[in-house]
Amino acid sequence: MSAIVEVRNFSAWYGPHPALREITLDVADHEILGIIGPASSGKTTFLRSLNRLNDLLPDFRVAGSIQFRGLEINRRDVDLAALRRKLGMVFAVPVPLPGTIHENLMLGPRLNNTNPDAGSLVEKTLRAAYLWDEVKDRLEQSAFALSGGQQQRLCLARTLMMEPDVLLLDEPCSGLDPISTARIEEALVELKKELTVILVTNNVMQASRVADRTAFFLQGRLIECGVTQQIFVNPREKETHEYVSGRFG
Amino acid sequence: MRRWIKFVGLAFTTLTGLACVIIVAMVAVILGDIAIHGWSRLSWEFISGEPRAGMTEGGIFPAIFGTAALVLLMTLAVVPLGVAAAIYLHEYARQGSKLVHVVRLALNNLAGVPAIVFGLFGLGFFIKFVGAGMDSALFGGALAFGQPCILWASLTLAVLTLPTVVVATEEALRAVPRSYREVAYAAGATRWQVVQHVVLPQSVGGILTGTILAVSRGAGEVAPIMFTGAAYYLPYLPKKLNDQFMELGYHIYVLTTQSPDVEATKPLLYATVFVLLVLTFALNFVAIIIRSRIRRRLRAA
Repeated sequence: MSAIVEVRNFSAWYGPHPALREITLDVADHEILGIIGPASSGKTTFLRSLNRLNDLLPDFRVAGSIQFRGLEINRRDVDLAALRRKLGMVFAVPVPLPGTIHENLMLGPRLNNTNPDAGSLVEKTLRAAYLWDEVKDRLEQSAFALSGGQQQRLCLARTLMMEPDVLLLDEPCSGLDPISTARIEEALVELKKELTVILVTNNVMQASRVADRTAFFLQGRLIECGVTQQIFVNPREKETHEYVSGRFG
Repeated sequence: MRRWIKFVGLAFTTLTGLACVIIVAMVAVILGDIAIHGWSRLSWEFISGEPRAGMTEGGIFPAIFGTAALVLLMTLAVVPLGVAAAIYLHEYARQGSKLVHVVRLALNNLAGVPAIVFGLFGLGFFIKFVGAGMDSALFGGALAFGQPCILWASLTLAVLTLPTVVVATEEALRAVPRSYREVAYAAGATRWQVVQHVVLPQSVGGILTGTILAVSRGAGEVAPIMFTGAAYYLPYLPKKLNDQFMELGYHIYVLTTQSPDVEATKPLLYATVFVLLVLTFALNFVAIIIRSRIRRRLRAA
């Protein structure tokens, strides 16, 4: 197993409040890592630390190390735009930008001006997000006209347009119906062939369905991380057992 | 006791309602009076002609032209500056920093300064300092910019209307959802790209609102331009930045207070006020239409 992201003794604070404590975790290439845990367990903070999106908050502090392909991402001289292209993110609430479906998809390529024929990726990414058949005839229509589930798949496709190595998903199905959720889960399992997926989810069953390995966070600590089946059937820690069996959280 | 409460309630309803009626009545009286007296004196000749016979006859075209040119120059100056300042304050500066605090304090104070003080400031700073400095540095001491002219008058108005534009723009920037910014950052945008691709297109409506407010304010101010460029009477139109100009508001002031024959100018005065109001309303109206179009396009797109 070769690690694409290596986290070592990583801690984070919002002002004086600790959000993550001493996290050590490897993410393997081409796996789906599920991250589960109750509210304010630090799982979203962890995810947003991987593409340094928390930098937007003025009093956010970190300690420890996160390496992406051997690159220490918290160094000051890191090219954040390049880093964030490599670790694409999909948010909990679908956020289509004002504009057409096509304009939304072109957001990354337009900002980064990297791939001159990014346009040719449109069909591929829409297919990968299981959205192509529903929107192929209306790419020039407003993205707001799509349903919530379609919007979230559009956001997934928009992120894929940047051809990231890692996909960071922050509860991507939290507001979606079961059918849309199933579509996204199918998409993720397919995508695993091409990239690595880190999936934060409030839905424990979602992790058990799609994740290769699952990490359980509680109050800013990584309680345990292991092969999904082991976490669900035979967890090492008492808290994990209680959480996955629905006894708290 | 119950009757007393009922009475107080009724009295309160009546009083608050009355306050509203008074407001509407005052506006109606002012507008009605001006419309009735002004309309009858209005003619194509009045709008397109020059003042004649010691401003007791003729038209007001130089003043209309001067007002339009003044407001246009002012807009060109105040919108880029105000929008840039607002973008810095809201997008770049660390919130809660001393600098932001000082700039906001300055803006609030600027908004509270009486208009006549801006006039004196324009005279002292733009004409006596910048203009005279330019003359001695660029024109070998010949009088070019060290005198009242449309450039300094419009810049003085720009300073006056700056807070309006900054506040309105900031309001618009604040209304752009944080999630939009996060999406752009997560897609590898730099701070400037976030502003350029996401924040500004979303705030155009609000920026235009600020511009409208600034224009309506600027078009009606007399005090700031009295010492900085407005002319009492000028038979030709301003052609260069350092020409003086006639302006509707100032022309009204002149007609009211400086005319040799106040009774003879009264109809002219009404018509001029009418034109000024129509111009201001028209500007407002056009800008409101532009804004609602942009909003609709943004919503539909």
